[in-house]
Amino acid sequence: MTLLYFSKLRDLTGRDSEQIPMTTSLSEDGLWDLLEARHPGIGKSRNYVRIARNQVYLEANSMLEPNDEVALIPPVSGG
Amino acid sequence: MIIDIALTNSVIELQALMQVPGPDCGAFVLFTGHVRDRENDAQIEGLVYEAYVGMAEKEMQRLALEIAELHPVKRVVVRHRIGRIPVGETAIAISVTGAHRAHPMTFVQLFMDRLKQDVPIWKASTIPVSDHAPAIH
Repeated sequence: MTLLYFSKLRDLTGRDSEQIPMTTSLSEDGLWDLLEARHPGIGKSRNYVRIARNQVYLEANSMLEPNDEVALIPPVSGG
Repeated sequence: MIIDIALTNSVIELQALMQVPGPDCGAFVLFTGHVRDRENDAQIEGLVYEAYVGMAEKEMQRLALEIAELHPVKRVVVRHRIGRIPVGETAIAISVTGAHRAHPMTFVQLFMDRLKQDVPIWKASTIPVSDHAPAIH
C-alpha cells in the first residue's frame, strides 16, 4: 500500500509518501492503528482527516487492499 | 454536457473560459476567484496552493456530474491554478453555459461550495510581504 500525506499531515509525518508492506486487507480502524504506530500522535487528527482510496473518498466499512494508493486528506482549502 | 476541467501551474487565461454559447444557450456565467492581499489578518504578497492532482481533477469532474443532475447545463469549463499565485491573480475560474440563467448560476454557486468541502486542494502557505520565500505554517 502506498500512503500519501498532504498539507499539515506532510509536516506532521515529515514525508509526502511511504510504502507499507501488506499481505491482507486492512480496515480503516486498522489503518489508523498502523499510522499511530509509525507516527505517534497522528491519531489525534482522525476526526478531521478523510481517507481516499485510489483517488476516491473511502466509504464506510470499506477495506484497503495491498496495492491501494491511500491518501490522508486534511480539511481542504481550494478556490 | 461537455466538461473541461484541469489544474494548471500557469496563469489562467480567461480566454479559455470565454465560451461562445450555441444557438440553444441563452446564458453564459463566468466566475473567477482571486488571491486577496490579506490572509489571517496579515498582509501577504500571494499564496501557494498544492493539490492531490489526480484526485482533485477527478473529484471536480464528479462534482460537476452530480450537480448537473439537478441543474442541467450545456458546457462547464474549470481551471484551478496551483503553485505560487501573486495577489490579484486568478486562483480559480469556472464558466458555464445553459439554456436559461437559473441553472448555470446555481451550478456555479454549488460547484464552488462543494469544491471548498471536497476537492483536495490546499492553501499550503502564504508569501509574506517583502519575503519571496514561502513560509510554511
